[in-house]
Amino acid sequence: MRLEKCWFCSSTVYPGHGIQFVRNDAKIFRFCRSKCHKNFKMKRNPRKVKWTKAYRRLHGKDMTKDSTFEFERKRNRPERYDRNVTEDTLKAIKKIDKVRVDREARHHKERMKGKKGQLRREAAVELAKSINLVKAPGALLQEPSLTLPKIKVKVSQPQTEKNRMEE
Amino acid sequence: MAASNSSKLFRVGRSILGGLSNNALGASRPSSQLADVDFLSQQTRTFIQMRTNLKVVDNSGAKRVMCIQALKGKKGARLGDVIVASVKEAHVGGKVKKGDVHYAVVVRAAMQRGRCDGSEVKFDDNAVVLINKQGEPIGTRVFGPVPHELRKKKHLKILSLAQQIA
Repeated sequence: MRLEKCWFCSSTVYPGHGIQFVRNDAKIFRFCRSKCHKNFKMKRNPRKVKWTKAYRRLHGKDMTKDSTFEFERKRNRPERYDRNVTEDTLKAIKKIDKVRVDREARHHKERMKGKKGQLRREAAVELAKSINLVKAPGALLQEPSLTLPKIKVKVSQPQTEKNRMEE
Repeated sequence: MAASNSSKLFRVGRSILGGLSNNALGASRPSSQLADVDFLSQQTRTFIQMRTNLKVVDNSGAKRVMCIQALKGKKGARLGDVIVASVKEAHVGGKVKKGDVHYAVVVRAAMQRGRCDGSEVKFDDNAVVLINKQGEPIGTRVFGPVPHELRKKKHLKILSLAQQIA
């Protein structure tokens, strides 16, 4: 029994589920549910539909390169049955699955970190550059405490510090 | 500054990737095929019944046949069923002529058919292979994919002649 992947959303198609469409050139399109089949009939491109795996992979939402994916590859060479190998495989599946889940969680965490620091730095640079639009440079020279020191700067951003010094 | 540079690079890389992927997809699906699929998916497909036109996918000489009787089922024939068909278009010099009446097996049907495991299968078009009274194919070749359900229906000869089994 083989667990196939849905052509549209790349989820696993379990036996007895979904529908498969055979094109006249014998290419088989398997779909996990009618949602995916309907989207295919509407000629939607899975890379452009946001909820599919293809989109998420393409746009860096999910982990793309990982050694754990290698274990799940489709192999056309049949393995000779060996009880010990099967036992080891069953044990390994759990372990590999755990590793994969952990790595995915880490990837997600990294991705969700945001770019707060970067935004802050850019804002500080812009403020330093174009403060003359808000205040005349002469006025600023007389009283430098008018605007600039109001930025809160974290310790871990030496760049802003430097910019302020230059100003 | 370094951060902004790197983000720009990333954006460029993504656009290149996107272009590549689009090209790859376009190459794998020719437009003519797409049009065919579109035409078939416009309507709900139904049984093969009397006056259904079917493509003949063997080298018996017939091009198009019309179903004049489904031999099984009240509503009509489905994938793998046997029908009686009248030859409407034929190549000159073939084994069958226009106007002949033959048995035929439905080897491809656009209407979905349940498989033994509960999933479903459907094809691009409605196609038959002509057989004689004994159930042996008249032609010596079968074109295009055929379903493995034919084995259950005891059309082993067609299965062995087929190019692909889906």
